[in-house]
This record gives sequence, structure tokens and C-alpha cells, in this order.
Amino acid sequence: MTSLDDDIAAWAATVRLSDAEAAAIFHRIAGTPASAPPVAPRLDPSWWRHFTADFTARMVSSTRPVRQAA
Amino acid sequence: MDREAEFRRLYEANRAAVHAYFTGRTGDAQWAADLMQDVFLRVWQHLAKLTDMPDDGQRAWIFTVARNLSVDAHRHRHTQAGVAQALAHEPASPQQPASTAVIAGERVAVVGEAIRRLPEAQRVTLTMAAAGGMTSAELAAALGVPAGTVRYRLSLARRAVTEALDRYDHPRET
Repeated sequence: MTSLDDDIAAWAATVRLSDAEAAAIFHRIAGTPASAPPVAPRLDPSWWRHFTADFTARMVSSTRPVRQAA
Repeated sequence: MDREAEFRRLYEANRAAVHAYFTGRTGDAQWAADLMQDVFLRVWQHLAKLTDMPDDGQRAWIFTVARNLSVDAHRHRHTQAGVAQALAHEPASPQQPASTAVIAGERVAVVGEAIRRLPEAQRVTLTMAAAGGMTSAELAAALGVPAGTVRYRLSLARRAVTEALDRYDHPRET
């Protein structure tokens, strides 16, 4: 004769999710790309330094007197 | 802890309870697995928010999602449709003689039928305790009811199952 707890445990074993099913669900979910907030396009943090350096170089070269051909 | 490891921790800590909750609500273990997957997909998508919560808060968040999904699911499918199928399993232990296995299978069916006939609150509570391995305190937190209510529901549910087994063990002679 089994106890009530044994009978209920035997029933619970028939409805409980198996480890294999649980693992399959885990891998299905973990394989899903996580939703991430949209990334706004942004410039490289050093853009201003590069821009001003390039601008200065162009200004210097463009205002330099052109040598006259002999 | 990396993202997948954190998710695994939450999944392993809560999956049995969530599946048992849906099994109690729907009576269908396979449907319960589908709903459980929906819950943990949301956990995966909101993992950063959950990681900042204490453990109690995480479980409360998970069961709030589960309750909402359960309500939505009930709107789209009749609850009792899969109950008989889910509870009619007859597990047979290969180590036991056939007659013992048959009797054990019949007792499981009697228990399943008795649980299926319980009021939903008792059915969910007993299923979560039995299949989810949850304590009264954990059940109270997950279901949002006092621990005394959980114990009362469990007591009523166990009495109903006991009576069903008594009828099986001692059938009235006609």
C-alpha cells in the first residue's frame, strides 16, 4: 500500500517537464537574439580632432604662395 | 556572470515552478511547456532589468508574466480540452511485475482524475507543490496569497484525492 504522498508524487512525475525537454527549451530561447535598444549612429569620438587637423592642413597649404615657374 | 549564465540560473531556479503553475491552470503538460517557453523568452528579453532585482523580485516578476500569459491563453483555448489527455498517462515501471505496474498506473489515473476535478485554485496549488516542489511560503509569494490560504487549499486538495483513492481501494459493492 502506498501513501498519499507517494501517489501524488507518482502522478506529478507524469506531468513534470523532463530534463531533455527543459534543455531543448533553454537552447531555443538562448539562441534567440536579445532585444537591444536601437543604437543611434554616432561619430568616432576623435572626429573633431581629425577634422580640425585636416582643416588646418588644408588652410595652410591653400594659402601658401605658389612658386612661380622659372 | 555573463548573460547566458545568468539566464540559466533564473531558468533552472524557476522552470519547474512555472511549468507546474501552467500545468495546474491548463491541465495540459505540453501546453504548459509552450507557455513556460513564452515566459522565459520574456525573461531572456528583459534579462538586464531582472538582473538588478533581488531573487524575490525576480520570481514575482516571472509569475506576474505567467499569470498574464495564462489569462491570455485561456481566452484563446478552452481549459479543459487537454486535461484528460495530460492526466491519463499510465507510467509503468519496468522493474515491477506487470500487475503491480497496472495497479500503480490505475492509482496515478485516479489521482489525476481527482486533481482534474478540483477547483482551479486548489488544482494549481497542489500541482505547484507536487510537480514544482514548492513550499507553502514559495507558493504564497508566487500566487500572491497568504501562506495560510495555501495550506488550506493544499489540505482540501489532499482530502479530495484521499477520498478518491479510498473509493478506488474500497469500491462499494452493489
